Amino acid sequence: MLFVFLLGPALASALLALVVRPYRAAVGAVNAVLSLVTVGAALGLWREVLAGRVPVAGPDDLLRADALSTLLAFCVSVVGALAAWLGPGLGDDGWDAAQARRFRIFANLFAATMLFAVTTDNVGFMWVAIEATTITSALLIPLHASKASVEASWKYVLIGSVGIALAFAGTVLAYFDFATLVGRETSALSWTLLRDVAPALNPRVLDLAFVFILIGYGTKAGLAPMHTWLPDAHSEAPPALSAMMSGVLLAVALYAIVRWQAVVRAAVGHGFADDVIGLLGVLSLAVGSLSLVTQRNYKRLLAYSSIEHTGLICIGLGLGPLGVFAAMLHLLNHSVAKSMMFLLAGRVLRRYRTAEIDGVAGLLRVMPWTGGFFAAGMLAVLGLPPFGMFVSEFALVRAGFAAGRPLTIVLVLALLAVGFVGVLGHLNRMLYGRPSGSVPVGEGGRWALLPLGACLAALVVLGLTVPAPVERLLLDIAEIVTP
Amino acid sequence: MDSLFAQLVVLESSLALIFGLVLLWRRGVPAYVNAFTWQSLVLAAVAATVGWFGRERELYLVAALLIAVKGIAIPRLLRRMERRFGTERELAPYVNTATSLVVAGLLVLFGGAVMRPVVAASELPTRAGMPLAMGLVLVSLFVVVSRKKALTQVIGFLMLENGIALLALLGAYGIPLIVELGVFLDALMGFLVMQIFVYRIHETFDTLDVDQLDRLRH
Repeated sequence: MLFVFLLGPALASALLALVVRPYRAAVGAVNAVLSLVTVGAALGLWREVLAGRVPVAGPDDLLRADALSTLLAFCVSVVGALAAWLGPGLGDDGWDAAQARRFRIFANLFAATMLFAVTTDNVGFMWVAIEATTITSALLIPLHASKASVEASWKYVLIGSVGIALAFAGTVLAYFDFATLVGRETSALSWTLLRDVAPALNPRVLDLAFVFILIGYGTKAGLAPMHTWLPDAHSEAPPALSAMMSGVLLAVALYAIVRWQAVVRAAVGHGFADDVIGLLGVLSLAVGSLSLVTQRNYKRLLAYSSIEHTGLICIGLGLGPLGVFAAMLHLLNHSVAKSMMFLLAGRVLRRYRTAEIDGVAGLLRVMPWTGGFFAAGMLAVLGLPPFGMFVSEFALVRAGFAAGRPLTIVLVLALLAVGFVGVLGHLNRMLYGRPSGSVPVGEGGRWALLPLGACLAALVVLGLTVPAPVERLLLDIAEIVTP
Repeated sequence: MDSLFAQLVVLESSLALIFGLVLLWRRGVPAYVNAFTWQSLVLAAVAATVGWFGRERELYLVAALLIAVKGIAIPRLLRRMERRFGTERELAPYVNTATSLVVAGLLVLFGGAVMRPVVAASELPTRAGMPLAMGLVLVSLFVVVSRKKALTQVIGFLMLENGIALLALLGAYGIPLIVELGVFLDALMGFLVMQIFVYRIHETFDTLDVDQLDRLRH
């Protein structure tokens, strides 16, 4: 039943937007209300999981939500709700009816495919769903048709599809060995079964499969060196879609990697899988941090920061149970912080009509609230206290020392410092200075600040303490990934 | 019986790989579309062969779907695109023909080396074809990154999918049917989305040369 409430609302909203033509604001309103039902369902799953149950549904237990699925379902539902409330088609936001309708159809399908990907137990269907996320989101990137957005979406579709195809090759390779062991049932692609029989699988075949899977899903997750599509797509997409792509699509791709990592760990033991994930993590962190310094476009700046944080999460995943705990806490923080930042960047873009950092000055005077939130959010993204990312990065550092990797940690801290200094300079130029005369002063669309303020409040709470339900969920996840 | 099965499968896999190589030494899009069509039909033949010798009835359905979707529907859409943009030839790819063929040869060898543990672990009569399938995957990947025209890249991607499907057929007699159907649906939708963008690129840039797509540099 919970799964119906989880997947149903998004599908219903997409269908509604499809049949109501021309688009009416009421469709957006229904969508916004229904998106809260999804959040409720995710919280319901959370309660079940903390009570020690694992909700399942469908033939062959096709849908299954353990602690890991629950965390991701929660992130997707929250960011989906933000996009539903603040996306095109509610209030006067400069999008026409056709654009709003297209957004409502595909954004909801996008959310539904992500929710299905994180709650299905079948790694075959997980792949099908993640591939479908490319299809549903690609059509939304050029909502404003321009040369740059067409270019960005072509890169996204091509690189994303090729990457995800390689992940499928990896899935198939892992399935070979498995099929000889268990037989050719649909359940042969069940993750639960896969992990249970993993110790009997051929380690060398599984290692090879994992390389393909890591490269494949890593492409979607924005891991360097397969990240080239990401800054383009995230900066050209409409703000609400950027929020979903950066806030949760990357997380969903990482989720797929974590699922397979758990299988490989069970089969091969620690070592290979952890090492390659950690390596790609450091590389992504380096690419992200160093690129932050030279950015001239604030949406691209946020996109490179996503690559940086994906790198951090991967480094955590390679550091044992403590590292997994830190990585998952970081993933939660990043979902909240980055979706908020892209939505705020959308507000800035609408006012200043430029995405260049040099074109934005005096943000604090022009839009005091938006500017204040933007500054606070940027400090949160940089990992300063009292925001959540400080806690998760601190946990990561501790995990690194506990795992006996002090050199990695020193490198991580150095790279974070580089990014920090770079971004602070950019932020300074945007916040202060004299705005050009053509930019009107004063906040518009004040009610939109409410959900964004809630995000900021959540980040502060996560920065002061890790609430007990969150902590227990994360401990459960660490247990699942590193038994 | 098993040796006939093994030989047939290796023959068909080799054909699939050779049709993939056509993308590297021919220049015109019509030749690419033909090569893709034939490769898809060969893939359907592999499915039918494995279905017959391996006694997997489901694979006949897979073969029929392959013929319908990849042998007929997608080639028809590709030809329609080709008629509109057919004059645009792959004149100057990033890597020239001779080098491309050498690279492809190395990739096929590399595919063989990579697949050695998998072949060693398998007991199926079809295992000998698996290195060829991996070769096709890698060669198609190379086509996507080394060619400049959006249409060529799309065909390279379609061949990559064929290579993976071949790998699944040879290594495990195909994946479970219900998942296979999902994969088919994705492949078709993915192709349709790519087609939309090929038209869009042509509309906005007046060419299919992705070299022109250089507005977004950091």
